[in-house]
Amino acid sequence: MFGLGRPQPTSAEKIAAVENELKVVAEMHSRMVKICTLKCIDKTYREGDLSKGESVCLDRCASKFFETHQKISDQLQKETQARGGGGFGM
Amino acid sequence: MDGLTAAESRELDQRLQKRQVKEFMSVFGNLVDNCFTACVDDFTSKALSGRESGCISRCVLKSMSTQTRLGERFGELNAAMTAEMQRR
Repeated sequence: MFGLGRPQPTSAEKIAAVENELKVVAEMHSRMVKICTLKCIDKTYREGDLSKGESVCLDRCASKFFETHQKISDQLQKETQARGGGGFGM
Repeated sequence: MDGLTAAESRELDQRLQKRQVKEFMSVFGNLVDNCFTACVDDFTSKALSGRESGCISRCVLKSMSTQTRLGERFGELNAAMTAEMQRR
């Protein structure tokens, strides 16, 4: 206001920032559920309970999904830096 | 949370509640689509057969267990990832 410090984010900006962060996490969660269901769950539905094999598959799928997320994120960051911050046309 | 004032926090809560309703509708919609696709394949009758109906019930039960289990794993893994990112 009086030229002191950097401009403060408005209320709307602060709320949008938190909301956006939660949205990213929620989207990742729903993608993981969709993908791991496809990979692990037997589609004949002869049983209403998760089998031992399906449960183990879901746990491993979740773990690998996160590891893949991290791996690709690291790799993209590295590639982008190597190209002087202009990688992938972004 | 993230240095929000009480009023901002209330506003955020209201928005998140709206999102939750939307998210529930989308989970419900996906459940119908998945279980219909997996279980309903006989169109010689307009009513669900006993077999289809049983399949749908089991599909719903299994999908709910899947949601719960993956929800737990997601929480753990997300917490670990957040901690790792803050450590770096």
